[in-house]
Amino acid sequence: MNAGRLPLALLLAAPVAFFVAFFVAPMGVVVLASLTDAKAPGLSLAQYAKVLLDQYHWDVLLVTFRIAGLTTLLCILLGYPLAWYLVRTVGPAALRRLCVILLILPLFTSNIVRSFGWMVLLGRNGLVNDALVAAGLLERPMRFLGTELAILIGLVYILLPLVVIALGNALAEIDENLEHASADLGGGPLATFVHVTFPLCLPGLVAGAIMVFTLAVSAYVTPALLSGGRITVFPMLIFQQYSSVFDFNYGGALSITLLVLTLALVGIGGRFGERRGT
Amino acid sequence: MIGGILLRAVAALVMAFLVLPLVVIVGSSLTASKFLSFPPQGLTLAWYATVLDDPSYVAAFTTSTVLASAATVVAILLAVPAALAIARFEFAGKRGLATLLTSPLVLPHVVLGAALLQYSAAIGFMRTFWALLVGHVVIVTPFVLRSVLALLTPEQRVQEEASSDLGARPLSTFFHVTLPQIRSGVVSGAIFAFISSWINVELSIFNTTAGLNTIPVKLFNYVQYTIDPSIAAISAVTILVAAVAIVVLDLTIGLDILRRRR
Repeated sequence: MNAGRLPLALLLAAPVAFFVAFFVAPMGVVVLASLTDAKAPGLSLAQYAKVLLDQYHWDVLLVTFRIAGLTTLLCILLGYPLAWYLVRTVGPAALRRLCVILLILPLFTSNIVRSFGWMVLLGRNGLVNDALVAAGLLERPMRFLGTELAILIGLVYILLPLVVIALGNALAEIDENLEHASADLGGGPLATFVHVTFPLCLPGLVAGAIMVFTLAVSAYVTPALLSGGRITVFPMLIFQQYSSVFDFNYGGALSITLLVLTLALVGIGGRFGERRGT
Repeated sequence: MIGGILLRAVAALVMAFLVLPLVVIVGSSLTASKFLSFPPQGLTLAWYATVLDDPSYVAAFTTSTVLASAATVVAILLAVPAALAIARFEFAGKRGLATLLTSPLVLPHVVLGAALLQYSAAIGFMRTFWALLVGHVVIVTPFVLRSVLALLTPEQRVQEEASSDLGARPLSTFFHVTLPQIRSGVVSGAIFAFISSWINVELSIFNTTAGLNTIPVKLFNYVQYTIDPSIAAISAVTILVAAVAIVVLDLTIGLDILRRRR
């Protein structure tokens, strides 16, 4: 150990003790609860059988992952052009700074406030319906709230800034000389984009996509508010068990199932990004 | 060029999409009508007065602010030493420790909230301020850790060693040599930590009660049953807090983060 520096044990004691006591131990309690049955002593996989053998849970998972997948896709499709614009085409630096501030403002606002904004906008007499009817695209107002579309709009809105920042950071790091080299060697703008620029920002894109996907899968507030009780996503099942049914064993199994499935998909996505990105 | 115009148009539309709901909330909080409407019908601050007159909202604002401040302070006290250990020492399990301390970033908050409800019930501090606080500390510590780690470079070791060679004790080396170099990381990490705690619903909702409530959870419970302009007024106040935090962030680290670096 180096003299003059605080000793390692002193630095690590508090953070490690805190995380073991209030993060590892609670998660351990959930894992343990998911492996036990209130009626039978000893460990059992009965809770997991209950979760995995019920078709209803698979239906809910399918809805959850479908919404999360579409959210991720839309975030990238909308976020890429904006990130490109902010890093490369925007004129004055002040405008870019203003845009970044407006990008972070929703990020610093609660999910509930942002979802509430969309409840107002998507309501029967909301701005969206008014605009669509006025434009002649709809004959009469349609019901958005309580559809998967509403949840999708809400989640894309909430997660889009994260993708723009992740993609923007990746684009900002790209060495312009590589693109010039490609052009000098006869590569057209499209070829340069496909073979040089896009592969170089792929790690940023994958990182952003993974973040959005995980957050979309585990989102509770936005689906709860915009589903109007008509659509169920997986985190709602977990919430039900802990807040009204009070079955901690079953709820534990649901929690661990969501956690494992999410981490598995994130792992697969990360590996894919690593291979393609290098 | 058509491509350039198209890009600008798409970028402008996406920016409008991002700003629109916030404008709608602030706008409809000013309405003079009894029901929520946008554009507002007449302008008044009456809904803000309604909120300020309701002691339960004032209590929730206080709880949220005290909780977020306390969680941020504890997170700094945990994350700065941890960051120093990770950046300055070689030890077995270093990667594992870094993973442990940053994993709350990817963990579903609903799962952690549920876990803390069950755990605090078993230990006997369920639905107390302390149950909320420990959960918030766990989810905000990674923000401080990440931003401080980013500013701890190997080159600073030379200065730290020079300081100790000149007879400074470890703590005074930390306060006079290391801390000034990581101060902006502590500040920006603290702002992210404060805001993440201040806006959290999914973790808090398990351990809040009617008497011990945070603003976002109170809003969430209210919005599911009724919608009126007072909700828009509270929401607008939280947007204002976010705006203040962003200004502070801009002044400390500068927010022109997307300029080309090469």
